[in-house]
Amino acid sequence: MGIGYNTIAFHADKCDGCGKCVTECARVHSQTDNPAHSRIHVAWDDKAKWAGLALCRQCGEPDCVSACPAGALVKDAYSGVVFWDENRCVDCHLCTLACGYAGIVCNPETGRVVKCDMCNQDPACVKACPREALEFKKGAQLFNQWGDLEDLVVPGLSSCLGCNSELVVRHTLRRIGPDTVVATPPGCVAGVGAVGVNGITSLKTPVFHPLLTNTASMLAGARRYYNRIGRDVTMLAFGGDGGTADVGFQSLSGAAERGEQMIYLCIDNEGYMNTGVQRSGTTPYGSWTSTTPVGKALKGKTRDAKPMPLIMVMHGCEYVATASTAYMDDYYAKLDKAVKAAKHGMAYIHIFSPCPTGWRFPPKLLIEAARTAVQANLVPLWEYEHAKGDIEFTYSPEHHIPVDEYLKLIGKYRHLDQEQVDYIQKKADRNIAQLNKFTLHQEITTGG
Amino acid sequence: MPKKLVCDGNEAAAWGVVLSRPDMVAVYPITPQSSLAEYISQFVADGILKADLMDVEGEHSVLSVLQGAALAGARTFTASCGQGLAFMFEPYFRTPPLRLPIVMSLVTRDGISPQCVWGGQQDAMTVRETGWIHMYCETAQEILDTTIMAYKIAEHRDVMLPVNVNHDGNYLSYGVEQIELPDQADVDEFLGEKNVNWHVALDPERPMGVDPLTGGAGGIGPSLFVRYRKGLCEGMQNALAVIEDIHRQWGERFGRFYAPLVESYRMEDAEYAIVTIGSMSGAGKDAVDAARNAGEPVGLLKIKTFRPFPLEAIKAALSHVKAIGVVDRSVSFGWNCGPVFQELLSALFYLRIHIPAVSFIGGLAGADITVDHFERVIRTTADIMNTDEPLETIWLNEAD
Repeated sequence: MGIGYNTIAFHADKCDGCGKCVTECARVHSQTDNPAHSRIHVAWDDKAKWAGLALCRQCGEPDCVSACPAGALVKDAYSGVVFWDENRCVDCHLCTLACGYAGIVCNPETGRVVKCDMCNQDPACVKACPREALEFKKGAQLFNQWGDLEDLVVPGLSSCLGCNSELVVRHTLRRIGPDTVVATPPGCVAGVGAVGVNGITSLKTPVFHPLLTNTASMLAGARRYYNRIGRDVTMLAFGGDGGTADVGFQSLSGAAERGEQMIYLCIDNEGYMNTGVQRSGTTPYGSWTSTTPVGKALKGKTRDAKPMPLIMVMHGCEYVATASTAYMDDYYAKLDKAVKAAKHGMAYIHIFSPCPTGWRFPPKLLIEAARTAVQANLVPLWEYEHAKGDIEFTYSPEHHIPVDEYLKLIGKYRHLDQEQVDYIQKKADRNIAQLNKFTLHQEITTGG
Repeated sequence: MPKKLVCDGNEAAAWGVVLSRPDMVAVYPITPQSSLAEYISQFVADGILKADLMDVEGEHSVLSVLQGAALAGARTFTASCGQGLAFMFEPYFRTPPLRLPIVMSLVTRDGISPQCVWGGQQDAMTVRETGWIHMYCETAQEILDTTIMAYKIAEHRDVMLPVNVNHDGNYLSYGVEQIELPDQADVDEFLGEKNVNWHVALDPERPMGVDPLTGGAGGIGPSLFVRYRKGLCEGMQNALAVIEDIHRQWGERFGRFYAPLVESYRMEDAEYAIVTIGSMSGAGKDAVDAARNAGEPVGLLKIKTFRPFPLEAIKAALSHVKAIGVVDRSVSFGWNCGPVFQELLSALFYLRIHIPAVSFIGGLAGADITVDHFERVIRTTADIMNTDEPLETIWLNEAD
């Protein structure tokens, strides 16, 4: 396996050419605001309202390094940054000709080359950008940290094209590891063959197909016995939203109240996708489903989704979090906390799971849907640790996009009129206000 | 010296649990099982029963946690009845095909509606087709002894099926008797090593997919499913000999011999017979004694094991009689007779024994089935010996 590196990503659609990144880079590296000293440059086309960015890509096989006759450019194997050694450089500037991205250029003030050194993995330009057009991508760390871990799921599950649930299952098991008992009740995860078909299993962990109604209690019994015989085995449920919020809710609620030790993951695709797209308790207002169809009298679901993560917070779970596959580093960090919390009580993670098949959108928009729902505050990312008592946002809800940016991607919302969209916007705003009220700042520890 | 104590049937069952040393007990209280759950809780609190007690939020989860525990390797126990059993039904009818040797007391109760919290066998009879072994007890001592035997039957390698040890709500649950408590060391030796999940497990040291999808049109089609179904039937069939053998072993070790499948009482030269199940059998035997003293050639056949159905034992007992009267404590709706009666008709037809038979339904809603009732049962059965007509069901408590 190779190694992945962090990188600075540029979202051209968010850039308005303000140049704050340029001045900040110059300030950090030369203590002046002279753009000549900056390693980042923006070319703004006012007619097209479009920005081009000149910044070192820290290439995998850098042409600048190959072109340098003095050995002054070296790609660092640990960070991936191409470093310039000013003492070795003979100022031939061959590197500036070799680079196709204007990533290494001549500073006219000094006559020497300048290039980005990524500010010791904390780039100043990213922090300076007021519109989040620059983003420091740390996803590579996930790859480095977990890329060698075994995928515990066989290749070739029979899931739909662009299935988010399969993505969740593979990543989750890779992170949690084989010393785990997995339960996948009836639903998409079991339906695509995660438990297996006709005597052949699909996971390398023990896996059970519990009832739709008893996932949490079944796992609780197994974990209690392992505790009794002194073995630390992680219990992991891949529940769907129906088996979690609807018919399986009683057993989940009971297990949470008793503090049963498990990770309960609700893969929320907002309805019964496996059986033909019927509504569930977590189907949001306005959604078309096969049981909340759109007609002359009714336009999709008339009620709001059941707020499962908050309901689990109120159960006093050890750990509760929301997650989205567009933010995998956030999800991995939450899984780590869940593994620890599940040694003391219930860890509940509610992961947003857009469904191309059931929600009527192209598979290529899966991650886009997962991302915009978060950015529109429809799926706020937060976590709750029982000992702290606080709900803390892990993605700031402050600079959000309008809900319409998300709704327009999704076919199940195609019929919405302005009144319905306005309602959903108000609901999103109110949900954030409500979550802010759950900040208690009162630490307690669980009683014996 | 074995210890003696005076207790009711629910406490006797709880002592049977203590002596069987389960790892995990889950209970949810329901009348008339509640005091059994309370005894268990007290025994755990006192340190007499060293099991992990899971007081979960309902019967559905009761059996679900036990399934998880059994799949991890635990010996398990629970008790329920009536509406609790109805709520438990979803995991209940899944337990036998998973071949999990869970033992459960059914403190039998009539079903609602009409609203009723009293004894009856409607609950147990309603679930007779689910693949659980069903044994009905007659006394508190038999409850205790059968609870222990149930583990040895359930965990027998040729059986691997869950067992319901049934005792009548009210009459056995609250009826007080003197019982003898077997010695723990003897019970340990009798039961031997537990044998719970060698065949199916949720254990990272033996990873397997438990209960993957089977059947459908593709691949190997329904044949795998059929194999599982036939395997369960085979386990049921094997259980007949295992139940007999384990009752014999129990008698030899503890000196108490019970009829394992059916008990023939004064049947040797009987010309007609009455058939009973559960606690009513005592009154039935008294009535048969009285009738015998009056010169009536009547005997009594008590069914202990109703699932698996003891066909051969019934053949041996009934092949020479000229009529039977069957007393049920529940109703087979649609047939409008008792379910035990209905099944005996099937058995007699299968065995090519063509004799008149009549169904009596008594003891519903906690009503007592008295010696007087049985005198009527005996009289009626004697009267039908020469009839060829199908007979109407007789409801014993209709005028009570």
